[in-house]
Amino acid sequence: MKHTEKELQELKEEINQMWKLVLSQLEKAKQSFLSSDIELAMEIASREKRVDAFELKIDSDCENYIALYSPVAIDLRLVLSLIKISSTLERIGDFAEGIARHVIDDDCNKISSQVIEELQLENIFDSLISMLSDSFVALESENTKVVGKILAKDDEIDTLYHNSLDILTNYMQSEPSFIRCGLKLMLLIRKLERIGDHCSNIVEEIVFYVDAKVLKHGIKK
Amino acid sequence: MIQAKDINFYYGDFHALKSIDMEIETNTVTAFIGPSGCGKSTFLRLFNRMNELIDNTRLTGECLIDGQNIYHKSVQVDELRKKVGMVFQKPNPFPKSIFENVAYGLRVNDIRDKSYITQRVEESLKAAALWDEVKDKLKKSAFELSGGQQQRLCIARALAISPSVLLMDEPASALDPISTSKIEELIHSLKKDYTIVIVTHNMQQAARVSDKTGFFMLGELIEYDDTKKIFLKPEKEQTQNYITGRFG
Amino acid sequence: MNKRLKQKIAFAVFRILGLMVVGILFWILGFILYNGIGVVNWEFLITAPKEGMTAGGILPAIVGTLCLIAGSVIFAFPIGVMSAIYMNEYAGNGWIVRFIRIMTNNLGSIPSIVFGLFGMALFVNTLKFGDSILAGSCTLGLLVLPLIIRTTEEALKAIPDSFRTGSLALGASKLQTIRRVILPIAFPNIITGLILSIGRVSGETAPILFTVAAYFLPKLPNSIFDQVMALPYHLYVIATSGTDIEASRPIAYGTALVLIAIVLLMNLLATILRRYFGRKVKIN
Repeated sequence: MKHTEKELQELKEEINQMWKLVLSQLEKAKQSFLSSDIELAMEIASREKRVDAFELKIDSDCENYIALYSPVAIDLRLVLSLIKISSTLERIGDFAEGIARHVIDDDCNKISSQVIEELQLENIFDSLISMLSDSFVALESENTKVVGKILAKDDEIDTLYHNSLDILTNYMQSEPSFIRCGLKLMLLIRKLERIGDHCSNIVEEIVFYVDAKVLKHGIKK
Repeated sequence: MIQAKDINFYYGDFHALKSIDMEIETNTVTAFIGPSGCGKSTFLRLFNRMNELIDNTRLTGECLIDGQNIYHKSVQVDELRKKVGMVFQKPNPFPKSIFENVAYGLRVNDIRDKSYITQRVEESLKAAALWDEVKDKLKKSAFELSGGQQQRLCIARALAISPSVLLMDEPASALDPISTSKIEELIHSLKKDYTIVIVTHNMQQAARVSDKTGFFMLGELIEYDDTKKIFLKPEKEQTQNYITGRFG
Repeated sequence: MNKRLKQKIAFAVFRILGLMVVGILFWILGFILYNGIGVVNWEFLITAPKEGMTAGGILPAIVGTLCLIAGSVIFAFPIGVMSAIYMNEYAGNGWIVRFIRIMTNNLGSIPSIVFGLFGMALFVNTLKFGDSILAGSCTLGLLVLPLIIRTTEEALKAIPDSFRTGSLALGASKLQTIRRVILPIAFPNIITGLILSIGRVSGETAPILFTVAAYFLPKLPNSIFDQVMALPYHLYVIATSGTDIEASRPIAYGTALVLIAIVLLMNLLATILRRYFGRKVKIN
């Protein structure tokens, strides 16, 4: 293998590690949220720095790769999409940290499980986790067959997000003391919905890399 | 390690190199880039005293290789050239067999042990990534090889006398892209054993193969730094203008 | 007149002129062959002239010419090649070399009869070689020296410097470079110089006139201090001042034929040598 290919391989390896880290942050966010585990939430918050470090490292490695090796075609698409994916992963990491902060605040942790179930929060978490891990597999295997499935999950999450507005409004109307926690929950769900969007962006980048197609903003070429 | 201290070089009245200081570390690839006539080749040829072949030249300053001033009276130029090998722009194999080309440096340095010569020829051809292509035709003329193979033969020839430094003066500029990329791979694999200094017109090549890059202009060393830095955030505007093609 | 027609006419003229040159050459060869073939036989080649050179063969002249060729080449070739190597490889481009070069070219344009006189003064009289193969060879050697020097220099100049720098960069000395790389490449072209000088030597009459050639000497030489007959001079003698010019005319043609044959044979041999060495060192 040529040394330029090796460099590219190393770049991919870095993004893999970042991906695994962000995925575990998200899984832990789910766990800590559902079980109100403050300790775990603290761990997430402290590991956020590592996600940031990964982003910086990948950014500078990609810059160097472009500067030194002037990649073209599939190599160029890979490097460009890796730059975007790394910053997107970093955003997802930020949201995971946000969820952890929510848990650490410890003022709304005694929300009845009925609300959480009604909002299908566990479902949303699971969908996000599977989106993120499926897209990881898609990049690894350079296979975009699962893209449709992943994007469909984002639509489901969007629906649940819109529903949650009505559900929470009802709760808040019937119980004014719930309003503060209700709003906080709304913000939290908003974060989850954003994670879904980011996952979709990642998938679009993967399609750009593998198939050289642009899916963004409904453009199909 | 190569150290150049306040090097000035003149072709007659022409001041070709202007007080250049540089340190090149062992087992790295260093590239010299710059417009034609900027002195990069002249500077390269100082390291094995090839400039001495040209009449009416003058040098001031010191050039040290592993702490030894190579222009000191006690240094024999042929001993120096055994230590500092060189590969030229155009492949220049001798009109001899492939085997004899690689063995040439050993023979002219009075090595007669046949089994040692055979062993070194094989090792050198392997190091130059040419062995598999020529092992069945070592007795054939070197001119039967393609240009890229000839250049790798010249690299093998230089490696045979076990130099510690390898100078390359635009080693791929006369080759097609595939041969060029083979040479570049070779440079990359050789750096674990040799200190390589390469002059190139091709900036992408400098970027691809080197650890450090020196940018020369009008006989001056404008900027010398990590290749990554030169190609991403050069400090001098002249460097930036040159590598972005806005030169002039 | 349009340019295509002009083109055609020009080509036709060139072609006719070119063919004419070849035609004249063949005409001369044919003429000599036609007139000379009658007397040339084995007998002619291995016997000495008899009866005032109107009968018999030309063996002494053949042997004499061969001796002179060998002698002059042995004398001039090493000196010529070595001085050319010195001038081209060692001496740089200083005034000494330029002076030597001008002098050798001048030497080449001196009329051959002057060489004859000079050879007589230096070799025959001053060095006391007498009229001998040695004196004649040296004189002929001087005559072809410029030719050998110039062709060798051209041969060396034609070799790209990359071979020299390539060898020097491997720690070879200048002498090693010349011996192992430069001379093998230059050799075929140096041989060309040799071919030309052999042709020149075998045909010259003037330089041997006062230094070696015998008017009539029907025996073979014993040493390099002997006089010999030589083909061109013998030809001159029997064609202009023999005892019976008319009677010896066929022999004159026969001699001319043998002389041409020897020159052609030498050329052929040299060409084969050149090919042989040339194939070994073909530069791409």
